[in-house]
Amino acid sequence: MRHVLPRLAGLRPKRILYPCLATIGVAIYLFPIYWMLISGFKNSAEIFANPPTFVPRDPNLEAFEFVFVHENIARYLRNSLIIAIPVMALTLILGSMGAYAMSRIRSRIVDFALIVVLMLQVFPDALVATPVFIVFQTLGILNTFLAVILATTSKLLAFALVILRPMFRQVPLELEEASFVDGCSQFQAFLRIALPIMRVPLLVVGAIVFVQAYGQFVYPLTLMNQQSLQPGTVGIYGFVGSEHADWHRVMAFSSIYVLPILVLFLLLQKKIVAGLTAGALK
Amino acid sequence: MARTRSPLLYVFLAVPVAYLLAFIGFPIVFNVTMSFQEVTIGNLAMFFRPFVGLDNYREVIADPTFRKVLINSLIFVFANVVGQISIGLCVALFFAENFAGAHYLRGLLLSAWMLPGLVVGALWKWMYATDYGVANYVLAKLRIVNGPVHWLSDPAMGLTAVNIAHIWYIMPFSMILIAAGLTTIPQEQYEAAALDGAGAVRRFRHVTLPALSPTLLAVACLVTIYSMRAFDMIVSLTHGGPLDSTNVLPLLSYQFSFEQFQFGVGAAIGTFAFILVIVVALVYVRTLNKEVSL
Repeated sequence: MRHVLPRLAGLRPKRILYPCLATIGVAIYLFPIYWMLISGFKNSAEIFANPPTFVPRDPNLEAFEFVFVHENIARYLRNSLIIAIPVMALTLILGSMGAYAMSRIRSRIVDFALIVVLMLQVFPDALVATPVFIVFQTLGILNTFLAVILATTSKLLAFALVILRPMFRQVPLELEEASFVDGCSQFQAFLRIALPIMRVPLLVVGAIVFVQAYGQFVYPLTLMNQQSLQPGTVGIYGFVGSEHADWHRVMAFSSIYVLPILVLFLLLQKKIVAGLTAGALK
Repeated sequence: MARTRSPLLYVFLAVPVAYLLAFIGFPIVFNVTMSFQEVTIGNLAMFFRPFVGLDNYREVIADPTFRKVLINSLIFVFANVVGQISIGLCVALFFAENFAGAHYLRGLLLSAWMLPGLVVGALWKWMYATDYGVANYVLAKLRIVNGPVHWLSDPAMGLTAVNIAHIWYIMPFSMILIAAGLTTIPQEQYEAAALDGAGAVRRFRHVTLPALSPTLLAVACLVTIYSMRAFDMIVSLTHGGPLDSTNVLPLLSYQFSFEQFQFGVGAAIGTFAFILVIVVALVYVRTLNKEVSL
């Protein structure tokens, strides 16, 4: 017992001071998110109050009601999901196929393919949007969800391949070889052995891809001009346009819109962080 | 091992690569081709159009707005690389102390990066509001500023405001990557340096920095690539204004194409941005290859 006390004293800065500092620092850093979430609960007078109130004086749901009744947020949310879910599915299918092949083929073709993928990943989508617009116009698929889904998948597929490739390498070859002896084809080995082992990485990549597709802006803005098809990002953009926006309503809209993202992130935080670090630098 | 060379694997590799070539590779070639052509609304859908040589490029280079926007882009990228790496490194070093809750709190920062760029822009526009924005209130309370700062309406302040918002938005991602790099430095190196009598500062300079420099270079490349993509946030925060003081190359290109319908000029501006990201991407791919071979 006597030995414990001095040791504790020696560790005190780490045990107490550092967690406190870190908590305060993170709270300050994430203050903008707090500010977004509480602004929606203010009314139109309180939103312009000077000094601003850091806790809503009279929390009410007027702004949330407004965005549901007058701004059609439900339709925007639905459109965002109609885009994000197929993008996620398509990206995971193509991404796991490609990453599996890259982890199994031993040839310089893989290095070459990987460089092509890495290079195609870097182009700003605002610049790719113009030619894609022209091509899709020629194909006659402007103003369809299909157009936005195809274009958004291209943006996220490269990212998925880069992150999934090192993970698929961890599937032991011996397992597959044993299944070949049992008469499995390569496709069955992929479906029955590699994919089940990869379910956690696929979940993480799926979550990140979903979040990115859900927040996609340039392609719907460019490829669709019918408001009834637009996702939430374009909805918010139209809403912010004017100089004197109704900020409590914009923030209520934004809060509802990002809520699924924040919930998904808090649930999968640890795995998302691990997945990102595995892919971007290795 | 012959089994693992099933032709199916090549199909699996070819499909996603072909997809990327079709939806990104071909559009880029198409765009570069357009930059040498006279493009009008009438011939927009054709691949073969009147060839005009470098006319679009001459027009772009002669445009004072383009020069201003090119400089803005370079400042924006530079400020983000310096800001995100220096802040990200400090934050990563702090969390590397492994105190209770360090991993969780560090990960929590990433929630900023998860938000859609458009929402981040709207949120900061609201916080930057001159008279009732929370940024000016806090700065005045802390006596950092005397009068309200015109963050988004003063052309001299606009780019700074955009830089702060974008560093806030992407820094957690850079920090997480730097933190991952820190964990790969062997602990023995620190112990050896400490035995040699090196203090914290010298340990940082002679152990941490050299071991971390490949990671930092890779992160710098990624930050550049990410910053060149910052379209969504800038569009909702400032839309490039006031007076193009916060405009950047992708946004200017988009404005020429979709607001003025000068697709050839927009494509030529795009080429400048392409060259920049391709150079950076080549450096990035090389640093990755080095890390693999080490």
